[in-house]
Amino acid sequence: MSARPLVEYDAVDKSFGETQVLRSVDLQVEDGEVVVVVGPSGSGKSTLLRCANRLEEVQGGELRVAGDPVTGPDADVNRIRRRVGMVFQSFNLFPHMTAIENVAVGPERVLGCAREDAEQRAYDLLDRVGVADQATSHPEELSGGQQQRVAIARALAMDPQVMLFDEVTSALDPELVGEVLDVMRDLARDGMTMLVVTHEMGFAREVGDRIVLMSDGRIVEQAAPEPFFESPSTRRGQQFLSRLL
Amino acid sequence: MTDAYETDGTAESGGDGSLLMRDGLIRRAGELLSVGVLLLVIGAVGFIAVTQVNTELLTTVFPQFVEAFWLVVRIVAVASLLSVTLGVLVGLARISRSPVTGRIAKGYVEFFRGTPLLFQLFLIFFGVPRLWPAGSTNFPVADWAVPAAVIGLTLNHAAYVGEAIRGGIDAVPDGQMEAARSLGMSRVMALREIVLPQAWRNALAAIGNDQIILVKDTSLLTVIAVPEIMSVFRDVNSLRLDPWTPLVWVCLFYLAITLSMSQLVNALERRADPTGQSRRGQMAALLRRAGGRGDGE
Ligand SMILES: Nc1ncnc2c1ncn2[C@@H]1O[C@H](COP(=O)(O)OP(=O)(O)O)[C@@H](O)[C@H]1O
Ligand SMILES: [Mg+2]
Repeated sequence: MSARPLVEYDAVDKSFGETQVLRSVDLQVEDGEVVVVVGPSGSGKSTLLRCANRLEEVQGGELRVAGDPVTGPDADVNRIRRRVGMVFQSFNLFPHMTAIENVAVGPERVLGCAREDAEQRAYDLLDRVGVADQATSHPEELSGGQQQRVAIARALAMDPQVMLFDEVTSALDPELVGEVLDVMRDLARDGMTMLVVTHEMGFAREVGDRIVLMSDGRIVEQAAPEPFFESPSTRRGQQFLSRLL
Repeated sequence: MTDAYETDGTAESGGDGSLLMRDGLIRRAGELLSVGVLLLVIGAVGFIAVTQVNTELLTTVFPQFVEAFWLVVRIVAVASLLSVTLGVLVGLARISRSPVTGRIAKGYVEFFRGTPLLFQLFLIFFGVPRLWPAGSTNFPVADWAVPAAVIGLTLNHAAYVGEAIRGGIDAVPDGQMEAARSLGMSRVMALREIVLPQAWRNALAAIGNDQIILVKDTSLLTVIAVPEIMSVFRDVNSLRLDPWTPLVWVCLFYLAITLSMSQLVNALERRADPTGQSRRGQMAALLRRAGGRGDGE
C-alpha cells in the first residue's frame, strides 16, 4: 500500500450555527493504526468521528479517506461510507430485523451480494464476535453487550478499511463492557485501522498505538500511550490525567 | 443516583396500609358501578327488544340491509386501500427535505382535516360535474355518487393517515437513519428499508383508528344518494314509522364491519411486531441455510 495515511484531517473546521466544535483539526491515521481519542465531554470527539464518514458536513479544511476526498463536491459519499465502518454508543441496531439480517442488509442492499452469500458472511461475522447462537434473535432480545457486538459485525460486513468507535461501551452495564472490548482488541490485533473514542483508559493504554487528547474542539496532545499516561508534555494533558486519578 | 432511586422505591412500597385499603375500596366501587351500568343497558335493550322491535319487519328488511352492507364493504375496501397508500405518500412528502413538497403536503393535510367531510363530499359530488364545459348533463360518469364517495373518503382519510405516518417516522430515532447511512445506503433506500418499516409499526394503531372512523364516515354518504346502510334505515323508518327495528340492523351491520376492521389491524400489528410468531419459522429456515456449515459439525 501507499505510504499515505488512511485517514487525513487537514485543518478541519466544524461549527453548529454559532458554536465552533472543531477548530482547525489536523490528524492522520495510518494503515493498521489504532488511534484512541480521549477528552472531556463536549470537546468534539463524536463530531470528529462523524465528519470522517460525513454524517456531519465540515465548514473548512479537507478530509480524505484512502486518498479520496470525503468533503467537497467531488466526494462520493456512499462510496466513502462503505469504506468506513461506524459503531455508535447507542448501538442503533435495526429493531425490525434479526441479528443476522442486521449484518446481512448492508452487503445485500448496498454491495448487491446474493442473499445466500450475504447471510453466510453475516453468520461468519456473528461467529467471529461470539453471537452466532443469537443469529435469529431480534435486538430487543439481546443484552447490550450482544447488541453492540452485532453492531460491530454489521459494520465489518461492509469490509471497511477503517472502523470508527464512538464510546461504544458507555451505554453498557459494567459487567458487559469487557466482552465488547475483547472484540475490539481482536480486531486491532488483526490489523484493522481504528479511530476509537473511549473513556476506558486501560483499553486505550493497552490497545492504542497513539492517544489523542481533545479539548474545546482542538487536539491538544498526541502521543504514544506510554508517554501520554506517564509523562504528559502539555498542561492540558496533565490536567486530564489528574482528573482521572 | 442509585441511592435516590432506592429511597424512592422504599417510600412507595413502604407506605402505610391505608393507601392499599383505599385502592381496594376504589376498585370495588368501580366494579359495582360498571356492573350496574351493564345491567341497566341489558335491561334497556331487553325492554326495547320486547316492546319496540318488530321481528317480522326485521326479516322483511334484512335483504335491503345486506345489499347496503355489501356496498359499504366495497366502498370501505377501496377507500381504505387508496387512503392508506396515498397517506404513506403524504407522510413521506411531509418529511421531504424539499420545502416545496413539504409545504404542499402540509397544505393538503390542513385543508382536508380542516373542512368537514360533508363539505368535501358535496364539493366532489355536486361541484366537480359542473366543471365540465358543456354542463352537468355531459359529465362522463353516469353514476357519480359511489365514485365521488370513494374519492372523498380517500382524500379525507389520506390526510389523517399521512399525519399518522409522519408521526411514526418522527418517532424513529435519528440513529436509525445514521446507522443506515453509515452503511452506505442512500437516503431513499434507508427510508424504505429501515425507517418506513418502523414508522409503519409506530403508526399502525393510529391508522387503524382512522380506518374505523372511515367505516363510520360512510354513514354520511346517504346525503349524496349512495344507497348505504343509513339510507336504508331512513327508507324503512319513513315508510313504516318504526325506528327501532331497522336500528337493530344498522347497529349490527356497522359493528360487523368495524369489528372486522379492528381484527385486521390487530393481525397487522402482530405481523409488524419484530418478535411476532409469524416470523419465527421464516427465521429458523434462514438460520438453517446461513448456518448450515456451522450446524453440520
Ligand atoms: N447536532 C448538533 N447541533 C448543535 N450542537 C451540537 C450538535 N452535536 C454536537 N454539538 C455540540 O458540539 C460540541 C461537541 O459535541 P460532541 O462532538 O458530541 O462532543 P463529545 O463527543 O466530545 O462529547 C458540544 O458542545 C455539543 O453541544
Ligand atoms: Mg460523544
